[in-house]
Amino acid sequence: MTGRIDPLGAAGLSFYSKVSASISHEIKNSLAVLNESAGFLEDLTLMAKKGRDLDINRLETLAGSMLKQVKRSDAIVKNMNRLAHSLDDPWTQTDLNVLVELIRTLSERTTVTRGFKVTAALPDSPVMAETNPFFLKNLIWLILDFAVNRPGNAKAIEIRPEKSESGARISFTGFANLTQVALNDFQTEPVRRMLELLNCRLQADENQGMIQLSFL
Amino acid sequence: MTDKVLIVDDEQDFLDVLSERLKTRDMNVSTASSAKDAIKKIDAESYDAVVLDLMMPEMDGLETLKIMKEKNPDLQVILLTGHATVEKGIQAMKLGAMDLIEKPADLATIVERIKQAKTEKIILVEKKSEERIRDILTRKGW
Repeated sequence: MTGRIDPLGAAGLSFYSKVSASISHEIKNSLAVLNESAGFLEDLTLMAKKGRDLDINRLETLAGSMLKQVKRSDAIVKNMNRLAHSLDDPWTQTDLNVLVELIRTLSERTTVTRGFKVTAALPDSPVMAETNPFFLKNLIWLILDFAVNRPGNAKAIEIRPEKSESGARISFTGFANLTQVALNDFQTEPVRRMLELLNCRLQADENQGMIQLSFL
Repeated sequence: MTDKVLIVDDEQDFLDVLSERLKTRDMNVSTASSAKDAIKKIDAESYDAVVLDLMMPEMDGLETLKIMKEKNPDLQVILLTGHATVEKGIQAMKLGAMDLIEKPADLATIVERIKQAKTEKIILVEKKSEERIRDILTRKGW
């Protein structure tokens, strides 16, 4: 093999793989609860056949738990579908509120596993930007990954999409020990290529522990 | 004697239903929804088996397993995971896990592994007692 793998394509594939792995894990967890709940219903039925009274409260709790898991799985699959469809149109008018909330939800398992709470402060009105939705999601995912891997005690990250003079920006606050040097190190070739493609710039505010992703 | 088991998982609904089902099979079940809580429980009490979720917030299952085995090398830990990769399986076995079961799991498999864990624990304890007795006898020159 002599061909060089395109770093942007490889980064996109890696992002998609990681999200898929996380989603399938979530679905498996939900299936595990459903599996045990169905098994417990079977246990109760067998006990009832042997003459034991059916506990209506237990049945009610089980039904509630199963419905909750079905709703949870449905939401997970809907998000997976939304991510898959972000490849449909490479360049489109996008509401950053919707995009940020989707990627926050998709990254939740990863961030929570690292002990982080990521919140999205979404304005009441849409924040529109002409962008490539897939690579913007990929970039936000990488910024969150950078955030949860920073040394320090900060465990809460806030993402805020905002309108700006140039159009729009997304602020990430709550970074521990943020330095311009660290942000420069974060900007590897795939990240630089994403910024170039999206026509965006990253800036660090060391004092406020904030990174701003501005649309130019 | 009933089997004494600790189930560790951050999914509260999973903990509730699995523990109820194991209780109806005459098991003495305790639960923990975090690694920290689980470690506290194994410090305070002795269990025949621990059923531990591999992916948990703050401290994952492998890290928890390592700490548990350092504290109590005889403790029998069965790992539960959404996705069992070969690498994770090898890592888990190297750290002393008794088995790795993929979610959703058949309850009969979980029960069987818990019973097996109890037997293995008894064998380990008996072996250690025998070694201690042999050591005493050797030292006394009998």
